[in-house]
Amino acid sequence: MNTRDLVLIALFAAIVVVLGLIPPITLGFIPVPITAQSMGVMLAGCIIGAKRGALAFLLFVLLVAIGLPVLSGGRGGLAVLAGPSGGFILGWAVAAFVTGLVAERFVHEGQREIRQFVGFFLASVIGGIVVLYAIGVPWLSAVSGTPLLTAATGSLIFIPGDLLKAAIATLAARAVYAGYPLLPARA
Amino acid sequence: MLTSLYVEGRSWFHRLPVRAKLLALLVLSLALFATQSLYLLAPAFLLCGWLYFSLGLTFRQALARIGFLFFTILVLAAINLFLLPVAEVAALLLRLMALVLFAAAVTATTTIGAFMDEVTFLVKPFERLGLLRAADVSLALGLVLRFVPDIFARYEAIREAHRARGLPIRPLTIIGPLIILTLKDADTIAAAIDARGFRRQ
Repeated sequence: MNTRDLVLIALFAAIVVVLGLIPPITLGFIPVPITAQSMGVMLAGCIIGAKRGALAFLLFVLLVAIGLPVLSGGRGGLAVLAGPSGGFILGWAVAAFVTGLVAERFVHEGQREIRQFVGFFLASVIGGIVVLYAIGVPWLSAVSGTPLLTAATGSLIFIPGDLLKAAIATLAARAVYAGYPLLPARA
Repeated sequence: MLTSLYVEGRSWFHRLPVRAKLLALLVLSLALFATQSLYLLAPAFLLCGWLYFSLGLTFRQALARIGFLFFTILVLAAINLFLLPVAEVAALLLRLMALVLFAAAVTATTTIGAFMDEVTFLVKPFERLGLLRAADVSLALGLVLRFVPDIFARYEAIREAHRARGLPIRPLTIIGPLIILTLKDADTIAAAIDARGFRRQ
C-alpha cells in the first residue's frame, strides 16, 4: 500500500466522522430520520473502491472501539458494539467492500452517464443495503433473542430511507467520479 | 472536537491493564451467552451496573452514554414479550444490559493511548505476515484526528456558501464538494508524509 492510499483511507474515515456531525434530516414520508453518516458505506465503496473503502471503515470502527464518540449523535465506545445493532457497525467494512466490488465492475470511464448512475445505484443497494442487512439482522436476532423473521420484518421500515440514501449516494458518487475519479486507481 | 469517552479517575478498574479488561469483556460475553439462569444473570447485571456507575461519572452523564442503547434493548424486549416466554425475555434483557454496562465501563476507564498500545500488540501477527504495519495503523489514526476539524470547517464553509446564494442546504449538494475538496488534498499530504520519511520508504 502506498502512502497516497493510506492517506485516502484516513481522509475518507475522517469524512465519515464529519458526516456524523451533520444534523440528520427528517422527511415526512419516512418514519426514521436520515443521518448522512449511514450513507458513508455506499459513498466509500463507490468513490475509493472496494479495498480502500473497506479499510476506511475498518479504521472508522477502530475509532469507535477505542472510545471516540464518532458515531452520529456523539456515540461510540465498546458498548455500542456490544449492543443489539453492533452487527451493523461491524458489517460496514464488508458492505463497503462489496459496494466497491460492484462499482468497480460496472462503472467505467467513457460510459454513458446513465449507465454510470445505474452502476453506482446497484452497487449502493447490493453493498449498502443487502449485504449490510444480511450481517446486521441475524446479529441483532442472535444478540437480542428476537426471532429472525420478526427482526427482518421490523427492519423493513428502514428500507425506503435506505433506498433514498442509495439514490443520494449515487448522485454524489457520480459527481465525484466526474470531478475527481479515484475508483479506477485500485489499491 | 473529538474528545474521547475516557473519564479521569483512580478507581481499581482504571488501574487494571487494558488487556485484562478486554479479556474480561470477552470472557463475560461468552459466559453470559452460555447461561439462561436468572440467578446468575441478575447478579451479573447488578455487578456490571454497580461497576459502571461507580467510575466517577455523574448519574446523568453515565446514563446519557448508554441511554440510547438501553432504549433499543427495551424496545426489542417489549417486542420479544409477545413472542417468547417471560423468563426467557428477562434473561435476554439482563444479559444484554450487563454486557453493555461492562463494555461502557471498559471504554470509560481506558485511554486512547492504552487502547492503541493494545492495537499495536494485536496487529503484530499481521505485521509478521507482511499484511499490515502497526505504524501505518497509528499513522492513519493520527491523520483522522488531525483532519476531522479541517473537514468540518470545510463543511461549514460549503454551508455558508449555500446560505450566501440562498440555496437550501441538502446533503446531496454538500457531500459532493466536501468529498472532492477533501480527497484532492491526498496527494499533498502523502507527499508531505514521504518527504519526512515517516514510513521509511
